[in-house]
Amino acid sequence: MTAPETLVTPTATGRSRSLWARYSWIGWVVVLGLALLFPYVVDRPRFWLPNIGVRSLWLGIIAMSLVFLNRYVGLLSLAQVTIAGISAYGVGYVMVTLDQPFFIAIPVGITAGTVAGFLVALIAARTKAIYFLMITLALGQVFYSYASQAIEVTNARRGLAPIKKPDLEIINLNDITTFYFAALLAAVICFLLCRYVAASTFGMALQGIRDSPERMAALGYKVNRYRIAAITFSAFIASIGGVVLVFDRAQIDPDVVSLGSTLDVLVVAVIGGIGSLGGVFIGAIILTLLDNFAQDFTDRYMTLTGIVFILVLLFAPAGIAGIGAQVKRAFDRRRKNASDPGDDPQQEPTATQPTGEAITKGKQQ
Amino acid sequence: MMLNNWKGLVPTLAVGAVVVLGVTGCSTGGSGGDGGGDAGGDTIKIGVLATSEGNLAFGMGEAKAAIAVAMEAIGGTVDGGEIGGKSIEIIYAGTDGTSGSAQTQVKKLVENDDVDIVFGPVSGDEGEAVVQYALTVPEVTFVNGSASPVGMTLEGAENFFRFHGDSAMWMGGLGDYAYDEKGYKKIYSIAEDYSFPYDNAGGFFSEFCAAGGEVNGNSWVPVGTTDYATIIAQIPADTDAVYVGLGGADAASFLSQAVTNGVDLPLVGGSIAVDTTALSGDANIASAAVGTITGGPVPGAGYDNPEWQPFVDAYVTQPDAFPSPSIFSILYYNSFQSLVLGLQEVDGDLSDGHAGLRDALGSLDWNSPTGQISMDENRQAIVDNFLIEVLDEGGTLVQKNISEASGVTQGTTVYDRFEGCP
Repeated sequence: MTAPETLVTPTATGRSRSLWARYSWIGWVVVLGLALLFPYVVDRPRFWLPNIGVRSLWLGIIAMSLVFLNRYVGLLSLAQVTIAGISAYGVGYVMVTLDQPFFIAIPVGITAGTVAGFLVALIAARTKAIYFLMITLALGQVFYSYASQAIEVTNARRGLAPIKKPDLEIINLNDITTFYFAALLAAVICFLLCRYVAASTFGMALQGIRDSPERMAALGYKVNRYRIAAITFSAFIASIGGVVLVFDRAQIDPDVVSLGSTLDVLVVAVIGGIGSLGGVFIGAIILTLLDNFAQDFTDRYMTLTGIVFILVLLFAPAGIAGIGAQVKRAFDRRRKNASDPGDDPQQEPTATQPTGEAITKGKQQ
Repeated sequence: MMLNNWKGLVPTLAVGAVVVLGVTGCSTGGSGGDGGGDAGGDTIKIGVLATSEGNLAFGMGEAKAAIAVAMEAIGGTVDGGEIGGKSIEIIYAGTDGTSGSAQTQVKKLVENDDVDIVFGPVSGDEGEAVVQYALTVPEVTFVNGSASPVGMTLEGAENFFRFHGDSAMWMGGLGDYAYDEKGYKKIYSIAEDYSFPYDNAGGFFSEFCAAGGEVNGNSWVPVGTTDYATIIAQIPADTDAVYVGLGGADAASFLSQAVTNGVDLPLVGGSIAVDTTALSGDANIASAAVGTITGGPVPGAGYDNPEWQPFVDAYVTQPDAFPSPSIFSILYYNSFQSLVLGLQEVDGDLSDGHAGLRDALGSLDWNSPTGQISMDENRQAIVDNFLIEVLDEGGTLVQKNISEASGVTQGTTVYDRFEGCP
């Protein structure tokens, strides 16, 4: 009775996995459909689109760059917000200080952020784990101090404003719905790009380096070059987030690159799931909802955010995105336990046998 | 294995998104219900921005105390009341003092809570962000709380009003006093490196230099600097006084090191430099602080405006009030009371895009606890400013009112970091 069952279970799991694999696109279509419907199902788009929608998207994009590095390279970088900020400052500098149009500003911003990421990589790529985290944190703080004081470039505390959204005749990004869709498009492209890079031979090599740098080095891979390339790529993603951010906020000031903003993105990544590229958007939505509505329940709204963070860490260590797998595991375990009691009477005699053997062994000793 | 993991995520993502959208839908429904009483109805909604987290977390308590004083005087409470037959509903939104948090909360007040009037914010960084936002929602009227950057009323936002001085005006009269009365000819400037001290120092030195004074050196230091030894060593020997544009704790650090380094020069304090509680802690520092002159919107001991004491008496009865009103409660009170007077003048009529209310606010002229407040063409107040000297009265430091500079008007210079005279 038991033997065939135990043989069937793994096959069933395998089949269910292949089912998920086959129909996973349905899940993505549903998510994308909901995201596309979002402006039309909320009754106050002028609030929901900027405060929840667009903000979640740029928070998610920046957090996704962090998750990419963590998941595929095994590095936890706290410089992603700084890189996004540098990109945002690039856009702001070109548009406000140099008074140039957006089609120059956006490439300059993304280039500035990506180059900054490359420079961070040159310094930090030789380290890993806590040392990498600390170096990236320190570099972020260096830039924060610079941004707070460099009047000629960043206009110090006052920052650069106003940074107006582009109006392209056919597409006017000043319309909040249009801007939301543009941000959504950016997020989808970033997500697909991350997935593509992760599945490429380059991405495979990165995962190999993550799991065993020594072995990959022995195979002839230049481990550091791969890390630098990965960090630069994630900086490119973060820079795109920075561009969405700066047009959303219409200004850039040192608060954007402060420690608080860095922690926001880290919280988003952890709540969403530090190993999940798509989960970050759930984390971002939760954080923006908390930012906007936690005050309706308590004056100490930051404490509430902290409690949610702790609860997620305690009960869903893989983040919200990991809950599916967690529930499935729990379900499997329960099903397994449920099938166990029937076996117990049969197992009892067998259980005594080893005990008997142990006694014999004890006697022999 | 690695590639398989994300597949488990898909259903989660879908379910998560559905749940989140469900939640957002519910919340929207709730707020939609609230939206019934907006402009044109019988309820006037005032959204208050104040700091409830971070360094200035006490801002919310001070804002509520100030608003309660103004509302209780007309039979209302901290949460609302009635003006001209219209009921007033006050909604509070807390920030952490950063521009990002102010942007989030002001959008929520306007777009989700549907307020007619935004009142606040506290900090300068927030103020700059809120003015930029005000430019995009001309249908909402904004009354500033205590944010004091000079540029805020120079942005051309027709719907933005400030009923107190900016941080340059807070030094109004002090430059002349330092030069003429104190006889300081050369002043060395040490100030924190951000926008508030730029304006604050700019206001002082523009007047001081115009009177004939000279700045014989500037040091701009990051906020939180604890080591002033190298800066103290740079102060030229022929300096008559040192301008201290530092916040409370930084000012105490500077004074303590100045004392141990044997610097014995009189001080001119920025508006937030003199915190008698911080300075009283050490006898040496306390003695060094005696004689410091400073300027600001808060009157010192001995101020004799008959409106002042009733305000203080009403303020101290509020829950969580300090022993005496802080700069935030004073500015919030003056501003909120101005708004109340404006609303009373039009009987709460917000029709025609708040035209009546804005005219009333723009031509307001009333005697506040800190002196006469009237408005200029930029919707910026013309106010009295206070010159204060730190005195030692029986072992405790007291900020004594020296005089008031009446009718201080706003300049049009937005100050940046400067070398020498601004």
